[in-house]
Amino acid sequence: MADEFGAGGSSGFTELLNLSMPANSESIATITGAISEILERLELPEQKRFEIDLAVQEALANAVVHGCDGDSSKTIRCRLNGDQQGRIVISVTDPGPGFRPEVIPDPKRAEGLYGDHGRGVYLIRQLMDEVQFERGGAEIKMWKY
Amino acid sequence: MDINVRKRSEVQLIQLRGPLRMGPAVDGLRQAMEEVIGHGDYRIVINLAEVTMIDSSGIGLLVRFLASTKKQSGSIKLVQPSKFAVQTLKLVGVLNLFEIFEDDDAAVASFS
Repeated sequence: MADEFGAGGSSGFTELLNLSMPANSESIATITGAISEILERLELPEQKRFEIDLAVQEALANAVVHGCDGDSSKTIRCRLNGDQQGRIVISVTDPGPGFRPEVIPDPKRAEGLYGDHGRGVYLIRQLMDEVQFERGGAEIKMWKY
Repeated sequence: MDINVRKRSEVQLIQLRGPLRMGPAVDGLRQAMEEVIGHGDYRIVINLAEVTMIDSSGIGLLVRFLASTKKQSGSIKLVQPSKFAVQTLKLVGVLNLFEIFEDDDAAVASFS
């Protein structure tokens, strides 16, 4: 079943997870736990599983904190699709107004090193092979090949 | 996450076990650190040997308290960060902010 996750010329992605949950840290743990199980079942290498797990954690945390203002009456949605080559695409959607990822400062600049936030999107971009923001930033799609 | 705090030779030694990520883990460590610093202890060793992953909120917590302790002539020193913890700290450019040790004894002794 190919769908919009086949962006970038890829096709043959199958839906492996589609969850909508309250915007809180318990849901993040539930979703990342479910994704970890799927990635293990797919027998992806440990390094690849770690990178996907952390990227998903960061995307979900951003959705809860920034997209939903920590309001657990709001809902976040996470979908994971994969293909037979072990390629993975994950989307995280929140109901917030979105943001402009291009204006996020580089957390590695000297004045940001001791900051307590602002590293999530940077980490995602480092960990995943392709990242796209849609719906004005309220949806992130991340590919791992 | 399991958080165990004990004092050794005027150094607070914090042992963590489990993923350090947003939610109860980071909240618990923040509370533990605030209590330690609240008692005027700015020399802190954190053992990360059993921390399987650190997310950006965990990193933010560590660097914020590192800055706080350094202002008081103290520090936070790390022991045995896991392979993935090292990778993550390195990716965001903060690994070199911390002194890293092979075991608790060496980290505690470094404050002498």
